Amino acid sequence: MPVFRWGQAWDPFRDLEREVDRLLASVSLSFSGIRFGREYPPVNVYETDDGLLLTAELPGTRPEDLEVLVADGVLTLRGRRTGADGVPDDRYRRQERLRGNWQRSLTLPERIEEDRMSAEFTNGVLKVRLPKAPATTPRQIPVSDGNV
Amino acid sequence: MSNEIVKASRSGSDKPDGPQVDPVVFTPPIDIFETPEGLVLLADLPGVTLETLELQVQDNKLTLYGKVIPDIPSDTRLIHQEYAVGHFLRSFILSDEVDHERITAKLNQGVLEVVLPQLRKSEPRRIQVTTE
Repeated sequence: MPVFRWGQAWDPFRDLEREVDRLLASVSLSFSGIRFGREYPPVNVYETDDGLLLTAELPGTRPEDLEVLVADGVLTLRGRRTGADGVPDDRYRRQERLRGNWQRSLTLPERIEEDRMSAEFTNGVLKVRLPKAPATTPRQIPVSDGNV
Repeated sequence: MSNEIVKASRSGSDKPDGPQVDPVVFTPPIDIFETPEGLVLLADLPGVTLETLELQVQDNKLTLYGKVIPDIPSDTRLIHQEYAVGHFLRSFILSDEVDHERITAKLNQGVLEVVLPQLRKSEPRRIQVTTE
């Protein structure tokens, strides 16, 4: 009877390691990967003829808890969502909805006319309209002859 | 005995029959918490309006189906996408302790709140025993 079998199949740690690997593999498969490692909230950006339209899904956020700021070409969204008022955590049977404070900054790809920006929040969807700044006419810089 | 009133089940396959079935249907995240009167269910349904929400109880199954009709102007081009827009569907098995007749629901800023009151305990009825 061989004492050492090929691959040391009797090694319990190897079995354990293999088992853990298998479990981890099944765990990572069960996540759809949508929420993990991504910034919150996810946004979609549309381009219109006169500007950009940014949308984000923020259900259950009170409009007063939502801030939209633009400064130096960076759009910042900030907000929070709290749980149901006066419900202690041990009353929850199931909790899947995200809550807490969040902030996200996005660099705008174009020059925006900040005075004409507008945002609306309906049915839990935020829409930010960012009108493009009018194209500036190129300014001619006269070049003089430096040899004179 | 457990006081399980709602058993949440993820179901994306048995959608209610609708005239237009969109291929993109999401399972919305939910919260369920207990109150002295029963249970409250909250579901995130961004983009769903009162007109596009169907909430029905059949036998002991509560089904919510929210359609999302994106109101993005047609002359826009999507240049950056981080989330997909679709409908929402989820169903739940209600326990016998839920008073089906008194279920109420409201929709506020994309969150559906369904109140599932517990059945009132029936009063014990006293039976008079008489002798002849």
